[in-house]
Amino acid sequence: MAFWIELLISGLVAGLVIGLSALSITLVFGIARFPNAATGDTMTVGAYGALLGHRATNSLLVGGLTGAIAGAIVGFLGYWFIFRKLAQRSNVALLVASIGLAFVLRAILGVSFGHSQQVFQLPLVRPWRIGDVPVHPNDLVLAGACATILAIVFAILHLTPIGRRMRAVADDPALARVSGISPSSVMTVLWLLAGAVSASAGIVAGIKTVVSPEMGWDLLLPAFAAAIVGGIGSPVGAVVAGLLIGVVQEMATPLVGFTYKIALSFLLMLVVLLVRPRGLFGKLEGAR
Amino acid sequence: MKLALRDISVRFGGFKAVDGISLAIEPGTLVGIIGPNGAGKSTLFSMVTGFLPHGEGVVSLGEADISRDTPFGRARRGMVRTFQVPREFAHLTVRENLMAAAPGQSGENLIDLFFRPGKVRNEEDAIRREVEETIDFLKLRAVADVSAGRLSGGQKKLLELGRVLMTKPKLILLDEPFAGVNPVLIEELSGHIRALNQRGIGFVIIEHDLSALSRLVSVLHVMDQGKLLASGAPAEVLARKDVREAYLGGAA
Amino acid sequence: MEAYLIAILIVTAIYVLLSLGLTLQYGLTGLINFGHVGFFCIGAYAAAILSTAGSMPIAVGLVAGMLLAGLAAIPIGLVALRLRDDYFAIVTLGFSETVRLVITSEGWLTKGVQGIPGIPKLIDGVGTGPALMILALVGFANILAVIAFLRIVKSPFGRMIEAIRDNEDAVKALGKDPARFKIQVLVLGAVLAGLSGGFYAHYIGYVSPDQFLPIVTFYVWMAIIMGGVGRISGALVGTLLLMGFLEGSRFLRDLLPFISAVEMASIRIGAVGLALILFTIYRPQGLMGDYTRRK
Repeated sequence: MAFWIELLISGLVAGLVIGLSALSITLVFGIARFPNAATGDTMTVGAYGALLGHRATNSLLVGGLTGAIAGAIVGFLGYWFIFRKLAQRSNVALLVASIGLAFVLRAILGVSFGHSQQVFQLPLVRPWRIGDVPVHPNDLVLAGACATILAIVFAILHLTPIGRRMRAVADDPALARVSGISPSSVMTVLWLLAGAVSASAGIVAGIKTVVSPEMGWDLLLPAFAAAIVGGIGSPVGAVVAGLLIGVVQEMATPLVGFTYKIALSFLLMLVVLLVRPRGLFGKLEGAR
Repeated sequence: MKLALRDISVRFGGFKAVDGISLAIEPGTLVGIIGPNGAGKSTLFSMVTGFLPHGEGVVSLGEADISRDTPFGRARRGMVRTFQVPREFAHLTVRENLMAAAPGQSGENLIDLFFRPGKVRNEEDAIRREVEETIDFLKLRAVADVSAGRLSGGQKKLLELGRVLMTKPKLILLDEPFAGVNPVLIEELSGHIRALNQRGIGFVIIEHDLSALSRLVSVLHVMDQGKLLASGAPAEVLARKDVREAYLGGAA
Repeated sequence: MEAYLIAILIVTAIYVLLSLGLTLQYGLTGLINFGHVGFFCIGAYAAAILSTAGSMPIAVGLVAGMLLAGLAAIPIGLVALRLRDDYFAIVTLGFSETVRLVITSEGWLTKGVQGIPGIPKLIDGVGTGPALMILALVGFANILAVIAFLRIVKSPFGRMIEAIRDNEDAVKALGKDPARFKIQVLVLGAVLAGLSGGFYAHYIGYVSPDQFLPIVTFYVWMAIIMGGVGRISGALVGTLLLMGFLEGSRFLRDLLPFISAVEMASIRIGAVGLALILFTIYRPQGLMGDYTRRK
């Protein structure tokens, strides 16, 4: 029993990573209207940024900030130099360009940091025990950090004027433009936010496992799956679906084996696309 | 083949474009549907032919309930439609448009295409013969090799009819066949429709041109604001006061 | 020198066949297939397994690879064809990664990460004679693919493809299902990729999962974008450019020995990424707009 609870907990932590990256994807999809394949590699940027910050100051907080800022900058630069130029083009054009960006990011990181896996040097802490179940304090800190990030994102979306404008654009970009809301301040905030959120996902993943140039891309499919399962365009859906997929993946590992974990998220995505294309919470036109 | 509609409704958000329509169309008859703009006529057509997946109600063709059928499934059963704005295959010639419409071609199957070329060739020849007849029937001989995108509006309507005929239909739903068409062509089209009806093909026609339509059909249904207002012989229906008010008072 | 040239031509011919498969799919149906390497992988592994552990004649492995790749395309078509184009792209990407996952996990069949060595050559023997025969064989397969492509375009099938492009709803109104046509094209493109994979396995002599990463799919996309999307000539020209790029980067490493192999791999990925970005921004026609018409 303790065994399953352990899996549940690690599933929830994995789910936070997937949920955050799915949140980034769904924000971009809802407002800029295309699936951003550079999300994964932005996660990697965040992880490396945090690594550098942590190495320099030995503070995880500083590392987290440097990572998030790195992600935000990358998100913004991608918008400024690439996606802005493609604003009138089809969603496929934007998707292909985002794949190009993903490759460029991965190449830069690969050449700068090499291909070996790196880890965050964190002091070893003994896990606490609640009953039979080991609970790692680090996991709690990470969960807390993620919850804070989510709270900030939702606060921005629902409590600030720019958030209101962003949601208006998500509902109807033509309408938003007509009522005098300038799209590009919305876009700027969107990409800074989306970049920071993906970076955070990457930082958590890097702390829990390892940091390598491919790590983000490997997590891209589960992130897409969660965004779709949750209902593309729904931030709540992305997070919920992310947690769901994280838990399902971890708890199914004893049954299906380690490598097939990721195939599960792909399978879930297919099922949702077949049966209920608008996902759990989605309201957009959906998949067709 | 009888077309029966029971309680057909189509909702767009809160708005009911079609509201509880029930009617039956006996096989081989010529039926018209009229109504002011926005009455829901084309929406009804789209729903009945399967192009609007989110309607309510039961559509049956003969004995079969086709409410869940795909649009191409319904067409294969012998109920085909034309579109208000013609949907010609612009980059194909008139002849190619007609050839493309013929059903059951093994040349549309890669396996047959590569491994039974003789069969494909024979079928193409047979289809071509039929297409030439149709071209003559519709008097499109002069433009047979012209790209369909370059035809005049009236010619495109003839082509749509021709394409529909290639599928050997039992019931044809025409959506405003006379719209934007000169009077001579209207007479020609009406003549074709009568001739085909003699051969046993049923027609349901949406139209705004009341005089042309009432000379053609034996039954007229009037729609207004999504509901069925009146049904009957053209002369009687058009004489009714509520029909005149709804139709002529509206944005006809 | 001769041997090197023939080797390059053989690899080029293998990649042209792979590109033709994608060109067929995109050129005829406009489907954005981001999982092409998955079909390539299936063909390669089928050939590898059947000719080594299965001890079957090479022809059997090649045909099996084609069939399996084609069969794999069917469920993808059925599930994903009606989705919007960017979702279709994501699903196909997921497909190729899942294929790679399966190959990596089912070690009892595929030897997992270690890969399968010792795959016999297409035609036995050393020297230019056998090499030229291999080139002829792969070249011949390419010619057959081109002939098939052209036959399709000028046939009733091709007519329907054109009709679907012009007006999908009208096609449905005439009683025909556009998806049926698109699936057949998807399958045929996958079959070509599978054959290409089989040739690849027998040529390189060794297969492992990380030869079938998504970057290969995007190598092919880059090739057909550069060469002219959706056209047969585009597949040829683009692949030649791609080979130039891949071989060129290898030469560059010889000139600049301080760049390690992994670094060069990163640089290649970066170059492909940059190419994708630049072509998307500055080449407005072709890829994401109107895919080619036969006239």
